[in-house]
Amino acid sequence: MTALEVENVGFRYGARTALSAVSFRLEEGQFCALLGPNGAGKSTLFSILARLNDIQAGRVTIADCDLAAQPLKALAQVGIVFQQPTLDLDMTVQRNMMYFAALHGLHGARARRKIEQALSLLGMAERSTEKVRTLNGGHRRRMEIARALIHEPKLLLLDEPTVGLDAETRRAITDHVHNLAASGLSVLWATHLVDEVDDGDRVIVLHEGHVRADATAADLAGNRSLVDAYLELTGAAETSL
Amino acid sequence: MTRYLVAFQAIVARELLRFTSQRGRFLSALVRPLVWLLIFAAGFRAALGISIIPPYLTYITYEVYILPGLCAMILLFNGMQSSLSLVYDREMGSMRLLLTAPLPRWWLLLSKLCAGVFVGVLQVYAFLLLAALFGVDLPPAGYLLILPALIIAGFMLGALGLLISSLVQQLENFATVMNFVIFPVFFLSSALYPLWRMRESSEFLYYVCAVNPFTYAVELIRFSAYSAFSSMSLLIVVITGILFFGFSVIAYTPARAGQRGRGPSQT
Amino acid sequence: MRLLVLFFTFLLASVAHADRIFVSNERSNTVTVIDGSTWEVLTEFPAGLRPRGITVSPDGSKLYVCASDDNLVRVFDTSSYEELFTLPSGPDPELFVLEPNGRRLYIANEDDNLVTVVDTQTKEVLAEVPVGVEPEGMAISPNARIVVNTSETTNMAHFIDTETNTIKYNMLVDQRPRYAEYTSDGTRLFVTAEIGGTVSVFDIDGDGAPTEVGKISFQVAGVQPEWLQPVGAKVTSDGQWLFVALGPSNRVAVVDAKTLEVEKYILVGERVWQLAFTPGEEYLLTTNGNTNDITVIDVASQEAVRSIPVGQQPWGVIVAPGIN
Repeated sequence: MTALEVENVGFRYGARTALSAVSFRLEEGQFCALLGPNGAGKSTLFSILARLNDIQAGRVTIADCDLAAQPLKALAQVGIVFQQPTLDLDMTVQRNMMYFAALHGLHGARARRKIEQALSLLGMAERSTEKVRTLNGGHRRRMEIARALIHEPKLLLLDEPTVGLDAETRRAITDHVHNLAASGLSVLWATHLVDEVDDGDRVIVLHEGHVRADATAADLAGNRSLVDAYLELTGAAETSL
Repeated sequence: MTRYLVAFQAIVARELLRFTSQRGRFLSALVRPLVWLLIFAAGFRAALGISIIPPYLTYITYEVYILPGLCAMILLFNGMQSSLSLVYDREMGSMRLLLTAPLPRWWLLLSKLCAGVFVGVLQVYAFLLLAALFGVDLPPAGYLLILPALIIAGFMLGALGLLISSLVQQLENFATVMNFVIFPVFFLSSALYPLWRMRESSEFLYYVCAVNPFTYAVELIRFSAYSAFSSMSLLIVVITGILFFGFSVIAYTPARAGQRGRGPSQT
Repeated sequence: MRLLVLFFTFLLASVAHADRIFVSNERSNTVTVIDGSTWEVLTEFPAGLRPRGITVSPDGSKLYVCASDDNLVRVFDTSSYEELFTLPSGPDPELFVLEPNGRRLYIANEDDNLVTVVDTQTKEVLAEVPVGVEPEGMAISPNARIVVNTSETTNMAHFIDTETNTIKYNMLVDQRPRYAEYTSDGTRLFVTAEIGGTVSVFDIDGDGAPTEVGKISFQVAGVQPEWLQPVGAKVTSDGQWLFVALGPSNRVAVVDAKTLEVEKYILVGERVWQLAFTPGEEYLLTTNGNTNDITVIDVASQEAVRSIPVGQQPWGVIVAPGIN
């Protein structure tokens, strides 16, 4: 089954083109880094996948559901971690989780069981009774990732999830998410930081609304470093304007 | 259907929890109308009674007259407060969490709206209790009879808040909204003076008050409190409420930022 | 024809079932009749010039009205509203009181400083009792031995012995006494003073001799003290509650008649003047001179429940009990 299929997606804000004919497929259990500088169109693409923006052109299929035709069914298969934290700071971890579970129709013992599972996956189980305000940035992020997993989605979307975190925490979180992919979840990880990508990861380089490259990190780098390859792709594109 | 109800319950519970944790908000929600009732009302030399207008069957003091208007004021402020929290949620991202839930957007907004109404109605009853302790009360049956009116009026005013929240993009602009919405809406209504009194001072003001939907929210509550029924008020409040809600659902529909319609590249 | 009369008699009897409220309208020279169960105005009929004091016979069949500017008392049938006859009253009759057995009528003649005693059957003046200046308030003790008259300018309550028709006691009260009211057991008397703003309270001994025991004064937040002008007053038959109409303050005071504490003020129409209970004392009615209406007060809850428009400048009010 294909976890995510993006076909010819285009998006304009008035006269400005944000995405143009973006196409790619994501298979089950794949970890895919969506690499691109700020303003490349990553957030716009995420907004479309999360249905905060409507599709203007093209087609998005999530777990075999057309996002435009069956938006609610498609959304039920997606877990999302936004760039900006979306937490009620004065409520406990558990309460934040329960609220989200309820938005996805889960309640009672079943919701609690799934929340516990999700928190354990991220090593957060023992923090469930703490107020979010008392958690550090890394724990808050891990909690949000755990939250995005409660309803057992097929696809996990993360928009620059490590922004503002220190190197060690970033590493821990990328490792966690790689583990999730290894257990069968499809992950689309948007970032502008090359060091978050493993050699075996698939990389899509997005720049100025276009897909510039789509390959494994190792293939993309070739005999250079991945950083150089990335700079070449995005820098070259700049000079071609 | 249970999925809908589970989400509804969670949204209401979250709003209630947030409300109870904001003691300041609750306090000001009660103090504001109490100040009107106990301080301003005493200053309006109306101790000698207000002449009889429906639904009143006999003479009433000014405090008794403004009680329903103050209930509506609480609902108005609460509607704006919920609207403020929506703008806040949008800035803080919580709105995204809500809008990406796999439920229709109108349902999510309706749940949010109902949560606000619930909180507002609680505030009204807390205020009525305090007012009764100060000796300003409704007929006993009125306390029960106003409940549907409070819910309907709360829905209309909450929907107005929802609509405003969809139009106001930033938190900072909110003070302006307060000045340009709450105060005219409250003062240019039958909340503080009967319409005939307005007409005595200015024909123009009278017409402004008569087209202000808030006037009908006040009258709906007032009539219900005295076991009377104003079908025109009900009609106007329900219709404006549905319009406000309808427009806010449209305003909250995806892709408002982008251009509508499908591109030619679709295959 | 006879059948028709019978039918109408029957119809009248069934209509006359409920209590009927009679209100004298000083300015429109009429009496307004209100149904005591539906509160609907049944009719308004001419009652002579400047009708003020108003009362009914003990059997409820006759309505007595002081037609002040006609200088007589007009008597009406309480069912047909037809005028039956008139009684001599002396000049400018303002207020009167009927003996409990319905026989003698004691009338205050405001301009003549007299109380005129009239026999309602022979229609003759039995006596004229000289009293203070501008007599107004009238009350009779339940045993009918004493009639109390208050004189507005002399600021006195005169206690008249009804056997000799002479003044037996005089008591000073506050300025401009307007109304006097006995408790139903006759042991206590209340006299209102309009300008003085007080109600004087007297205990009455077995011989009818008064002893002043207290004075009630009034205070309403937001209302100037000079507007608190006690006028009409009524006490419940159990002697527990005294209601006092407070004129231009638009309020009726509720006073504990035993402790003399004011318990409550009830907002009614403007310039509230006289009061009357319905026969079972469920309701108290007030005439509101400036707003041309009467207010109905629920006696048990001590709340005003409704106001009913009547003629111009309503002055007095009385209720004829319904016919069962």
